[in-house]
Amino acid sequence: MSLLQIRGVSKAFGSLIAVNNVTLDIEPGELRAVIGPNGAGKTTFFNLITGFFPPTSGQILLDGKDITRATAVERIRMGMARTFQITQIFPELTTRENIQIAAETAMGFRLRTWLSRAERAAVSSRIEETLVAARLTEQADRLVGELSHGDQRSAEIAMALALKPRILLLDEPTAGMGEQETFQVAGLIRRLHKHTGYTIMLVEHDMRVVFNLADRIVVLTEGTMLAEGTPREIADNPAVQAAYLGTAE
Amino acid sequence: MLTLILFNLTNGIILGLFYVLMALGVSLILNLSNVINFAHGNFLALGGYFAFSLAPYLGYWGAFIVAPILIGVLGLIVEQTMIKRVYARPHVYSLLLTFGLSFIIQDMCRTIWGVNGLPLSIPNALNSPLSNQFFFLTGYRIFLVAVVIVAVAALFAFLGFTRVGTRIRAGTFDLDTVSALGINIGLLRALNFALGIGLAGLAGVLAGGQIGLNPNMGDNLVLPSFIAIIVGGIGSLTGTLVGGLVIGVASALTSVWWSAGSNVVMYILMVVILVARPRGIMGEEGMMT
Amino acid sequence: MSTTTAPQTAVAAAPGQRWLHLVAIWAFLIAAPLWMGHIGGYDALYSRILIFGLAAMGLNLLLGFTGMMSFGHAAYFGLGAYGAGFVLRYWIHSTPLAILCGILLGTVFGVIFGALMMRRTGIYFAMLTIAFSQICYYFAYSWNSVTGGYDGLRGFTRAPLHFGSYVIDIRDNGLVFYYFVLAIFFVCTALMGALLRSPLGRTMIALRENPQRARFLGIPNEQHVWIAFAISTLFTSVAGALYALLNNFADPTALYYVISGNIVIMAVLGGMLNFWGPLLGAAVFVWLEDYISSQTVNWMSFIGVIFVVVVLFFPRGLLGFVKRRSA
Repeated sequence: MSLLQIRGVSKAFGSLIAVNNVTLDIEPGELRAVIGPNGAGKTTFFNLITGFFPPTSGQILLDGKDITRATAVERIRMGMARTFQITQIFPELTTRENIQIAAETAMGFRLRTWLSRAERAAVSSRIEETLVAARLTEQADRLVGELSHGDQRSAEIAMALALKPRILLLDEPTAGMGEQETFQVAGLIRRLHKHTGYTIMLVEHDMRVVFNLADRIVVLTEGTMLAEGTPREIADNPAVQAAYLGTAE
Repeated sequence: MLTLILFNLTNGIILGLFYVLMALGVSLILNLSNVINFAHGNFLALGGYFAFSLAPYLGYWGAFIVAPILIGVLGLIVEQTMIKRVYARPHVYSLLLTFGLSFIIQDMCRTIWGVNGLPLSIPNALNSPLSNQFFFLTGYRIFLVAVVIVAVAALFAFLGFTRVGTRIRAGTFDLDTVSALGINIGLLRALNFALGIGLAGLAGVLAGGQIGLNPNMGDNLVLPSFIAIIVGGIGSLTGTLVGGLVIGVASALTSVWWSAGSNVVMYILMVVILVARPRGIMGEEGMMT
Repeated sequence: MSTTTAPQTAVAAAPGQRWLHLVAIWAFLIAAPLWMGHIGGYDALYSRILIFGLAAMGLNLLLGFTGMMSFGHAAYFGLGAYGAGFVLRYWIHSTPLAILCGILLGTVFGVIFGALMMRRTGIYFAMLTIAFSQICYYFAYSWNSVTGGYDGLRGFTRAPLHFGSYVIDIRDNGLVFYYFVLAIFFVCTALMGALLRSPLGRTMIALRENPQRARFLGIPNEQHVWIAFAISTLFTSVAGALYALLNNFADPTALYYVISGNIVIMAVLGGMLNFWGPLLGAAVFVWLEDYISSQTVNWMSFIGVIFVVVVLFFPRGLLGFVKRRSA
């Protein structure tokens, strides 16, 4: 069964239809990219899935359970984790503390004022594990607000990883980054996908990133799904070339 | 009994109008600049005292016109020298700043005009009751109602139909976009602040003729005006207008049967509104988050 | 509040350094009454500093650590005072019970009002805190038969502490009372420090740093704001209860919004990003207020100027550049 099922989802803001009747399924272990020119409704689509706001119509299922009306927090408890187009971190805390907050919340300790020795050890080992996965061990005790853009993005992804999500949702993970940092973050995403087997859906503007990473690509234009297929198929699709590749890049 | 109800109702409407004038000023500043002006009541008192000191030279009518304008100018100066420096900072700073200003202005009034109450004399023409049975319907009260109606109508007309007014409303809704359109936000906020403070000055002149002058005269009006804003719906100026009248009349009607209850009913109203309709009577959903 | 230029060492002091700081602070607090008389201090003033320091540190759990602006903490301070006063005046001559009931009264209202406010943020949250504190003030002011109205609740004294046959006379000896307040202050700051180093405390800091990020890690913002608010009111009401014991009365001015403003300025003046900042702010503010009000009738202007000067020129407070997050 598909991990995430999106069935005929639409979102209207007043008379503006930002997302129009999108249907797609994401399989476990898949890395799916959603691309489209600016204003194609990518971020709105992403926000619908993560529970930022509810869709006007349609249905979203995670693991077969209807989450269309679930709050953001409920969705996260059910195994979603997301990052944002503009990196969202706790800037005045260290990288370790950023990850610690995520880990403690995911482990159900967020209301606790005291942890047993075993619980503390469990938290620490999840933090270390996450730091290693995101290659942030060196930066663990620096303020995350002082890190480079690339490391900040890695830290944000690490916070999502610390939740041990079923599906990782990344909103333009390389937005606003230089060559080197894009390479760093794309490398992290690839490792997570290939080596750790995470199911990932990402929205992206940078075509190079997407064509090298994704198993399958969905193209959105004006809120509608224009095409779906492997990177090869998408690159060869004349409609996509006309609507997106020809004009935007 | 009818006379008693009418008496209280009149008082309630008068009080409600003061709440409205105060709350509209506070609300203007809150909506556009995200500043809660604690000193609003002190600007009110200052308005009354200015009128008191100007009246011997300009006559009542001259003072009536000039005092609120001077208060508005003072507001502009305060905004330009102090308030505008904290817009970009966390809210705690603007609160503390207006709080400190409120202390300073109150102490100034006390030092210059004395701790004891002073009367603000009004023209004899306004002073006599219209009839013996309805002794509480003095000419001054009718005048007061008329002035407030004209002022509120002028304010809404200004916001609705002039270019600056439209920009203020747009800025309340989405400041970033207004700024992106190349409109000078700093100037807009300064004018808006002066306008809000000017309304407090006008309220002060009117209140001086009704209840007399004392350095704390604004204190009893500030907090109810906050409640009027919450009840009416934060972010909506029409809501503030409605909120002020609702709590004014509700307090007055309650005091017909239970004289100490006039404040209680105001608070109960606020809590009920917060539970049943968190955004207030006219507030937009988006404004609350 | 940019940190990009803050040196690394200022962020998280090494554990050894932290102990050194703690020892220095406590040594100072214990020794203060023994020598500060020479610079114009007196026992009641020291106690008042500790009490307002505690109130401001309680507020700062919300203001500095959760990033929520309360301008209505006088309500919980005053309710704490009245709660303690009610016990001593109407029920039983017991200091511990008085403190407990003060805490209970303040915190219960903190929980109730917090529930009505927890969905709001920013300036609107602040506005509601003001309105709710005004409700409390109004009731204290007008419910004459119970609260004593304008004159306040009078006619009680704090009771000496009895441990079996051993009696500690906190009633007639101001210095002993100071150490009693200090002991409670110690317990409270230890609890606050532990809270901030716990998972719950970290969620509060997370809310300050980035509420949206917190929500999308699975932290329901509203619930945590509510809890933080309640905890904050708890500590402020402890301070209020002690305030009633210090004065041997509770009056409506303890609930007035002026006290709310004073508590906030103490936190900001000392440095709200520092755990001990509010205590330092309280010491400076209370001392200045005491001195100025004895020197001039225009003390209100001076206090007002302190507010303006702090806001415009020292927004980060005295300890603003020492950025340790917890004890």
